[in-house]
Amino acid sequence: MSFEELEHTADVLMRVRGATLNELFAEAGRAMFSVMYGPCEDRGVERRIEVEAENLESLLIDYLSELLFVTEVENTVFCTFDVEIRGTRLSAVLRGEPFDPARHSAGTVVKGISYFGLEIVKEEEGYVVEIIFDI
Amino acid sequence: MLTGINKVGDLEWEVPIGYVPDMRVPGRFFLSRTLAETLEEGAVRQLANVATLPGIVKHSLAMPDIHWGYGFPIGGVAAFDMTEGVISPGGVGFDINCGVRLITTPLTEADLARRKRDLVERLFDAVPTGVGGKSTMRISNKDLSAIMVDGARWAVEHGLGTEADLVRCEGEGAMPGADPDAVSAKARQRGVPQLGTLGAGNHFLEVQVAREIVDPEAAKVFGIAEGQVCFMVHCGSRGLGHQVATDYLRTLEGAHSKYGIRLPDRQLACAPVDSPEGRAYYGGMVSAANYAWANRQVIMHEARKVFAQLFGIEYDEMRLIYDVAHNVAKFERHDVDGVSTEVCVHRKGATRAFGPGAEGVPHEYAAVGQPVIIPGSMGTSSYLLHGTTAAMQKTWGSTCHGAGRVLSRSKAKKEVHGKELRERLAGEGILVRAHSDAALAEEAPDVYKPSGEVVRVVHEAGLSDIVARLEPLGVIKG
Repeated sequence: MSFEELEHTADVLMRVRGATLNELFAEAGRAMFSVMYGPCEDRGVERRIEVEAENLESLLIDYLSELLFVTEVENTVFCTFDVEIRGTRLSAVLRGEPFDPARHSAGTVVKGISYFGLEIVKEEEGYVVEIIFDI
Repeated sequence: MLTGINKVGDLEWEVPIGYVPDMRVPGRFFLSRTLAETLEEGAVRQLANVATLPGIVKHSLAMPDIHWGYGFPIGGVAAFDMTEGVISPGGVGFDINCGVRLITTPLTEADLARRKRDLVERLFDAVPTGVGGKSTMRISNKDLSAIMVDGARWAVEHGLGTEADLVRCEGEGAMPGADPDAVSAKARQRGVPQLGTLGAGNHFLEVQVAREIVDPEAAKVFGIAEGQVCFMVHCGSRGLGHQVATDYLRTLEGAHSKYGIRLPDRQLACAPVDSPEGRAYYGGMVSAANYAWANRQVIMHEARKVFAQLFGIEYDEMRLIYDVAHNVAKFERHDVDGVSTEVCVHRKGATRAFGPGAEGVPHEYAAVGQPVIIPGSMGTSSYLLHGTTAAMQKTWGSTCHGAGRVLSRSKAKKEVHGKELRERLAGEGILVRAHSDAALAEEAPDVYKPSGEVVRVVHEAGLSDIVARLEPLGVIKG
């Protein structure tokens, strides 16, 4: 599991890898939260989300969009994402901590997830996807 | 310049039909040789992709701050026929009605003198900023509905401004056609706690000085003089707008196949302007745009209170020059082959720049054209311009919106150190306040194209004329 930031002048482009789809989605969540808040710890806040879509790419976008919604309205920062995908349904347990301006202000607001160039690719070692976060 | 593009004027370039398959009209953009050095092929391809959409009129356009976005390029402008054409969230962006307003004060730089640090700190305390910034205002869901319909007027009616402010906003601070029922419960939940907050990224509240007056006649009409201290607000519709965009990208993605529209890019999801899906997006987008006008009105009000208290000046002495939107789609009347025709104009990172006498320009500015406000990046000049007749003829009355990045965020973080940047700017007399130094590096002046060059190109291309150049003195960074 890994994510790396690639060159993109206007927004944030991340290449995310995971051995399984569950790991890929978990890592995509971690990548997005690293852009928004910087470091985060598990301090006992737990939340469950469920998302359903018509294909995997849309599922990824809806899942990340749901995370944006939850973090903003519930003032929580998540650092671990236990994702379980069945077909095009996803459930995830998110763990993290309450938002603390003193420790979580190193990042920037992600306004949305772009559909542009988003394609989940199966490779020998697992899955890879490149995601543009609009900032 | 990239291959396959034709020069059609000193600063004007054409992307011919065929640059990508299925283009219905040519693309056209405005750029100097200097700016062409950083033009991305991806941005031109996006401009060409927009030209494939049904009902596009005349050209797919881009301003000199064109760069690679998603869906439309940033700096993209396109008008669509009201019956044959489409409306697309990808032509507006996630930050619906991101925009700028400029306010003058009766103060000079000397008046700020030793109190500049105090001013910046008080402004920082008065206006919530950054990731997680929440409002101190308590508004109800009913208030939110009213805000989405009335925009800046809601704020003025609640004591957060004056009637005169409304006249000096694009569309008087609200667009008609809002449909709060087209805004999801999620978007509402995000909107309630964020009214009057700046957000993050390149958004700012800046104390500036009018350093140079380029067009004294127009400056007089706009009420700005050399040496005058001003402040500028740059922000948008916050989480509410982001959610509306997210929701409708999804809805319209399902709709385009229903209407037989072939898309070269999923981010160009769209529906006919005159369809249930198109109308719903428009109603939701207008609601978010109106929220943004109320948002900037509230922030201006808070900043005025700080200035009034600190310098003993009157609230009414701080005059709003104008407020412009640079991410929006609007129904406007334009000349199409000699006939006044209503079209749906998308501006994604582009500013309306209506010329003298155009409908919608405030009466007091009618002889000059509307004020156009181009924010600089942190530490660099911002500009006040006015709209022109040439813009009405060439770009649906549109011009650039800002500088446009040249350096990615990841490179910026490697090359620029936030604390050093803050200290360097302080050395130049620019005090910067943010929640963290780390966030500063990403928005360093070095990561943007020189705003002066972008503005020079629109000026020389005749799309808007420079009135004044403003320099920053203090920056509250979002």
